[in-house]
Amino acid sequence: MPVDSRRLQGPESAFSYTLLEKKDANAEESILSADLQKMLIDSNHVRKDKRKPTDARPLFLRTGIISQAKGSAYIEQGNTKLVCGVYGPREVQKKSDFRLNGQLFCEFKFAPFSCQKRRSHQQDNEELVLSGLLREALEAAVCLHHFPKAQVEVNIMVIENDGSPLAAALTCASLALASASIPMYDLVIGAAVRQLPKLLLLDPTKDEEWQPKLNHDENNSNLTVGFMPSMQQICAYVHEGVSNPEELEQMLKIVTEYCLKVQPVVQLCLKETVEKMLASEGENNDAE
Amino acid sequence: MAEILLSEAEKAFIHHGVQDDLRCDGRTRLGYRPIILETGLVSNASGSSRLRLANSDVLVGVKVELASPLSEKPLEGRLEFFVDCSANATPEFEGRGGEDLANEICRFLQMSYMSGDTINLSELSVLAGQQCWVLYVDILILECGGNLYDTVSLAVKSALYTTQIPSIKVATMDGDQPELELSEDPYDTKRLNTQNVPCLVTLMKIGNHYLVDPTPEEECCSSSGVVVAVSGSKKITAVRKIGSGSLHPESLVSMLKTASEVGAVVNKILMKKLLEEETAGKTQKVGFMR
Repeated sequence: MPVDSRRLQGPESAFSYTLLEKKDANAEESILSADLQKMLIDSNHVRKDKRKPTDARPLFLRTGIISQAKGSAYIEQGNTKLVCGVYGPREVQKKSDFRLNGQLFCEFKFAPFSCQKRRSHQQDNEELVLSGLLREALEAAVCLHHFPKAQVEVNIMVIENDGSPLAAALTCASLALASASIPMYDLVIGAAVRQLPKLLLLDPTKDEEWQPKLNHDENNSNLTVGFMPSMQQICAYVHEGVSNPEELEQMLKIVTEYCLKVQPVVQLCLKETVEKMLASEGENNDAE
Repeated sequence: MAEILLSEAEKAFIHHGVQDDLRCDGRTRLGYRPIILETGLVSNASGSSRLRLANSDVLVGVKVELASPLSEKPLEGRLEFFVDCSANATPEFEGRGGEDLANEICRFLQMSYMSGDTINLSELSVLAGQQCWVLYVDILILECGGNLYDTVSLAVKSALYTTQIPSIKVATMDGDQPELELSEDPYDTKRLNTQNVPCLVTLMKIGNHYLVDPTPEEECCSSSGVVVAVSGSKKITAVRKIGSGSLHPESLVSMLKTASEVGAVVNKILMKKLLEEETAGKTQKVGFMR
């Protein structure tokens, strides 16, 4: 699908130098599932970054990093780093567009240097679809009827992509929305899992993620889920790769268990945010 | 989808019907509306099909062209999808209104075709690293009557089934300029194996039950659903949750199980009908007269 219909873009003659790399015997294109599994896991069931298959990467969360935004959050999950800024509620841009319920506008963007292959500075189709998925997930969590005729903007910028960006974006966005005092039913926690023929890897890194170009064997797939732990509802579900319903059930179980474990961490971050806000307000009052 | 205005009473009517497994048009929850399918309508395309699922009308044209393969995949051809929501389909698609939906359908189709061995792309290679076939699949949505994902996927599968790719021979290398020779016989073509091409199944959740092939009114009553890409062997190649509502994990799991069974049946029936149409030979093209 043409990306930018107004500007004529000449043919792209630049290509990544990694294509000139010498392909050794372990070339990923010709890899069978068994070898792929050996590449990712050794005989002690330990992954390349020393994690167990059901261990997620350590999570780091911080709010209030964008001073101009109503609410903002920063998440680091291993090497995946992203920032979310929330603006609003404010008037809808086009007056003719207002609805009785509030509207959510999400923009998901990869920084051009965030992935191994340079990304365009304008949103491409993949980012547009991810923005749509994020919006649908957050619409389930945000109390839209609390700000009629208004819009809330959620902007996600991925600074470094090392696997599972959508999952991190879901958690980061709901943390930013909560810190912006937007009324919500529940927090959305995102999680991703990689399916291999006989194993499931929670929170895959970029190398562990399923790539559509590489492996076409059965029972190889990627699942990203957005889960609301208190309400026990799934608000985002994206699955790519070949699988069958029984396996999908297993993957869903692992992911929802992880989300329940992460919920207290996100809540703790929010609690600290509120304490900081109250403390700074207290100082302002004293100064006056 | 079109803005359908439903009163509370109408919504309640639909809800109660779904509970009793009797929808407004008399179908059961897992029943499809009548489908009219015809292939080979567009003479300038290598493969084409028109599929009408009750009020949803989709026309697909496949054009094959020669191009250089992607640098990461020198031994494979590729499929490029393009979805165009015509402004005729529904008033919302006027101007750039249909772009978001078109983009989503396009992207989901791409994803479901890339997973698994749906089409053997190495068959599309002409000269390794230099020339390959690119199949441009252009989907035109003429009328929107609910359940676009399913309609589009069935039409695309039919169009790919009938696509004829001319046979090209590589003549002897002259220095380093290989010459491509197109066969003189216009009927000397090859076809793709579309056995494993996925069909999309949309399931919308209304109350405690889910429906297959929702009408626009039913889509309006429902807050969430899933679109599942099912290949011929009951395998799921892509799933996406649609709508602004949320789903309980157990409902989601049972929806996926149902989708894979429904998808397998739809695939089988479609292949059977396409084979029937092919063996029936050249008959009068009905086209848009019906």
